[in-house]
This record gives sequence, C-alpha cells and structure tokens, in this order.
Amino acid sequence: MNEKAYYGEFGGQYVSESLMNTLKEVDEAFEEAICDPKFLEQYHYYLKQYVGRETPLYFAERLSKKYGTKIYLKREDLNHTGAHKINNVIGQILLAKRMGKTKVIAETGAGQHGVATATGAALFNMECTVYMGKEDIQRQALNVMRMEMLGAKVVSVESGSNTLKDATNEAIRTWAKTAEDTFYIIGSAVGPYPYPKMVKEFQAVISREAKKQHYEAEGRLPDVVMACVGGGSNSIGMFADFIDEEGVELIGVEAAGKGIETGEHASAMALGNPGVLHGMRSYLLQDEDGNVQLAHSISAGLDYPGVGPEHAYLRDSGRAKYVAITDTEAMDALMELTQMEGIIPAIESAHAMAYAFKKAKEMTPEQSMVVCLSGRGDKDVNTISDYLAGKGYLN
Amino acid sequence: MSKNRIEARMEALKEKNEKAFITYITAGLPNLSATKEIIKAQEKAGVDVIEMGIPFSDPIADGPVIQQASFDAIQNGATLKKIFVALEELRADGVDVPIIFMMYYNTVLHYGVEAFAKKCKEVGVDGLIIPDLPFEEQEEMKKALDNDDRTIFIQLVSPVSKDRVPMILEGARGFVYCVSSMGVTGQAAAFHKEVVSYLSYVKEASRIPVMMGFGIRIAADVAPMKDIIDGAIVGSHFINLMRENNFNPEAAAEYCRTFKKELNEL
Repeated sequence: MNEKAYYGEFGGQYVSESLMNTLKEVDEAFEEAICDPKFLEQYHYYLKQYVGRETPLYFAERLSKKYGTKIYLKREDLNHTGAHKINNVIGQILLAKRMGKTKVIAETGAGQHGVATATGAALFNMECTVYMGKEDIQRQALNVMRMEMLGAKVVSVESGSNTLKDATNEAIRTWAKTAEDTFYIIGSAVGPYPYPKMVKEFQAVISREAKKQHYEAEGRLPDVVMACVGGGSNSIGMFADFIDEEGVELIGVEAAGKGIETGEHASAMALGNPGVLHGMRSYLLQDEDGNVQLAHSISAGLDYPGVGPEHAYLRDSGRAKYVAITDTEAMDALMELTQMEGIIPAIESAHAMAYAFKKAKEMTPEQSMVVCLSGRGDKDVNTISDYLAGKGYLN
Repeated sequence: MSKNRIEARMEALKEKNEKAFITYITAGLPNLSATKEIIKAQEKAGVDVIEMGIPFSDPIADGPVIQQASFDAIQNGATLKKIFVALEELRADGVDVPIIFMMYYNTVLHYGVEAFAKKCKEVGVDGLIIPDLPFEEQEEMKKALDNDDRTIFIQLVSPVSKDRVPMILEGARGFVYCVSSMGVTGQAAAFHKEVVSYLSYVKEASRIPVMMGFGIRIAADVAPMKDIIDGAIVGSHFINLMRENNFNPEAAAEYCRTFKKELNEL
C-alpha cells in the first residue's frame, strides 16, 4: 500500500496496471513543480493576469443585516470563465506542458470544467478533447458551443447513464490508451492519487486569499467557512488553509436533490457507503448489488455519486461537517441572493448560500462566516427559467 | 486439500506441451441459465479456463463490447449473489473446468472482502482477476484469500509495466495475464507496437505460464508470439460471436474446439 496516497482509509490508486507508471510520473512531476519557484511564479502570473485574481471577499451587507451575522462571500464567480474551475486548470495544464505532453483530455458534467480546460488549451496551444455524457450535451448546449469555439473536440459519451460518471469512465479509458502523450486534467477533487492532492493544491488559493482578506476586514479568523460539495473541488480549496485552524468550523454542503428520503439526491456523505469509483476509495452512492447509483440534483455540478477522498476523511475525523440542501431550498436561496445583493450565483453555489442562511440563525451579530460563491449563474439561466415556470415562483 | 484447479490445469498443459485457451463471458448475458449452458458446452469442447465477468455499472477497464454486455446483464437481473448460486449449481452438475471471476473491486467491497473470499472458496471460484486493483492496493484482498489453494489471485501486467514486472510476478500464482495493448479490452488485433519484446521480457521473468489477452479473435492473431506465450485469452470477440449465434452453446463449443486446435498447430 502506498501510504501517501491515502487520507485515513480513503483515496488510493484503484486504476488499471497500465496507468500505475503514469500516475507515478505525474506525482513526481507535480511534487517537483510545486517546489520550483519558477513554476509557482508562472502559475501565479496567469492567476493574476489571465484569471483576474485575487477575487474579492465581499461583505454581503443586506443579507448580514437580515440574518443577524456577518456573511462574507468569496467571489470565485468573478474568475475568468465564471467559476473556480480555472484555478486548477491553469495549474494542471502548466504541469502538462512541463511534462512535455501535447494533448489534454477532460471530463465534464455541466460543462464548466470542460470550458475551463478548453480555455487553458487555447491559451497554451494544446490539443483538447472533452468527454461529456450525451444527456449533458443536450442539457448544456451553450457550454458545448463555447468549448467548440475554443477549439476543443467534444466527445459524446453514450454508455451507462450518459452523464458525468460515464464521461469520467470514458476519459479514464482514453487516458489508459494514450497516456504517452496525453495529460488528463481532472476537474474535481477526485480520482486516483495524486489528483485529489493536485486539485487541492491548485484550489487552495481560494482559502489563502480569503484568510488574508478576512483578517484585513475583521482582524481575526472567521467562525465558519462553508462551500458546496459535489466532487469537492471548491470546498477543498475553501477549507485548505483553515483545516489547521481548529477554531474555524468547516461545513460542506451536498445536494439533497428532491430530498434525501426520496432516494433522488447526490449526498454521498449522507447515505453512501465506502466504495471504489474513478480510481479512488471514498463514500459512494450504490444500490443493493454494489452498482453505482445515479445521483440527482437540479445542479449539474453537484450531480455526482461519489465525493473526494479527503472530504470523506474530514467527515470521519470530525474536522468538517457535511449537510445537505434540497433543490427547492437552493433555488430559494438563489433568488434571495439575486434580489438582495444583485448577484446571480450558480445553482451549485446556491446550495452553500441556503445552508448559510440556516446556520446564521445560530450565530451572533459579532460572529462571521465565509461562503464560497464558486460560480456565477449565467450557465443556469435555462434551468432557472424552467424551474420558475414550473413553480410559478416570480408571481 | 486438492490443488488449485487453474494451477493443476497449467501443469497438465505443460506436460502435454500444449497452449492454454481461455475465454471470457459476462455472466448473465442474456441470462444465467444461458451462461451455464455455454460453460458446460465449452468444458466439453476442451477450453482450459473460463473467465466469468461479474457485471458492474462502471467497467473502466473494458471497451464497448464488454461495457454493453455488463449493462445488458445488469438490466436482465444478474447480480453477484445470483452468479454465486449459478456457479454452485454448475459445480453440483459436475463441471470441473477452472473458473475465474473477472470483476471490479467495488463489487467485492460491497459484498464484504472477508465474506466474499470465504464464499469464493466455498463455491469453487478458482481465481480472481480485478483490473482496478493494482499491486499496491491488493493487500486487503490477498489477506482475505490467505494464500489458500482454493481461490488464487491472478496478476495482470501491461506493455508499460516495465520496472514493475518483477514486483508483480513475485508471489504470482496460476498464470500471468499479459495485456497486449494499452487501454481497454476488445480493440481489434492492434497490439502495442512493442508487444513481442514486452512479452519476451515477461516470459523471461516469469516462473508461471504467460497468457496474452485483449484484442484476440482467432488463433492466427497470436502467431507472431507463438514461441513466447503459453496461451491466449478471448473476451470481446467471444461475446460478439455468442450474440451473433443467439447464445447457442454449440457455437461456443465449435469456436473453442477450432481455436484450441489451431492454437496448438501454429
């Protein structure tokens, strides 16, 4: 057993033998790169000049007043391409170039990671193929067009459930065949080691900035830090620099879909059992025969049956708490944030907002929380419109 | 305690100076009684080892043919528990051909590693192939199998395993499964460019027989490696053939007889 590939009992490298040497190469190149000042300088250069960091830590004045505690929003929605995904893509694509790879592949569900990868590939002149489930291609036509405009090839995956989990399977299969010249850019904090570690490293910029910004605003650490969890990339980035700060409460918000009790949800931590999928051992939604169960969430970005292994560890060790928010609660929070602060969040991020409003009720006006606003809602306008039409919400 | 069926078969083949012929079929495609009939017919036709694929929702090491076969088998109700029952029935009917379960690790974990190993030993699963369980992750499984002769763990190597080969082969039992090409099962006979030198390297390093699999359809496909390998494994092509012949056991038997004969006449 490769001890360093594990977070407690979670993580590991559950891949075909033909990928084991590839993972070793990626791991060695990654460890070397993050100790190389030139690599880090490049990474931070692109984060600043291209992505537009640092992102603000915005004090949500009206919401704070209404809910009786200080609510700060880490504005990852203001990044180039509209979400936190680009932070990690810049890191991994610079690593791919450093390793002499000429092609990149990626999986995508809602299309945000696909768009970010296609963007990075255009910027660094690399050939890019994105695997996307047939269902998602139909649901996210606009993002498919963006990727194609950026020069990426979008491959429709027609196997299993035709969604993100199957797109990830297909990306892994392709990678096993082509690893000699191809780098697989995983967008979530999942996959075989060292991917969960890489994604955390390249998303940790979120919490480094937020910590500093909160000190500047309040002269101390926040009481609560919160983020939504699908695979867990924005949340692990939001938690990273606070994990060792014991006084800071960490909360991950999963999607409860139509309600945990209905079985149609995406809460791997609430109801999953430890299992193996996509190269890692972690909590996983599965049926009574051990087949992977389909996740459900109104948010395509949270619609994933597993969760990153470090989150599974943070949960079991008690360092972080994981809760779940239903589709309806998330959509209510989305509208509230839109109408009270003039910010249309991604539906993913609205899950974190919804729990923030609940949590605020047990906090005092002097306390403060930081919520990661992982992405903007432009991509979700069609879904929002369908939802509102169905519910007659605006009336 | 009798010897492991796979190891006994390997020794018998060595004495006869024959190559092994091994097939893969997804269990429960189209249903478990068809699977049982096919296995019985193949045993009579002289197949050496049979891999039963345990269907899983997310078979990341498989190409389109086995993916579809898995999907169909699950839709038709195949589960690990039912497959255990089917195998028990086969053994009760006197079927003695070595049987390997080829499966993904989540299915084992879900059943419980200890309980799974115990059940395998009881019902007569002779070997396990778990493609998403590379050497570094095998400890738990091997501990549960406890180096018992009834169920052994079969090791896989790939054309890019290189310096990993000695580590993998140490303690390996039965035979070593050499994947002929990078990636997944069932990609025509487009073997990795350095397949001959790779197979020679593995053969040199191995105390146990070396089998080649992935992308083989007819015995002639392995003619260039006939002096290196100890046998051939056919999966995706066998499934296609079964579908074309409406899962007729006689078609399976005919294919096995022909392949086995031609393999030993190369």
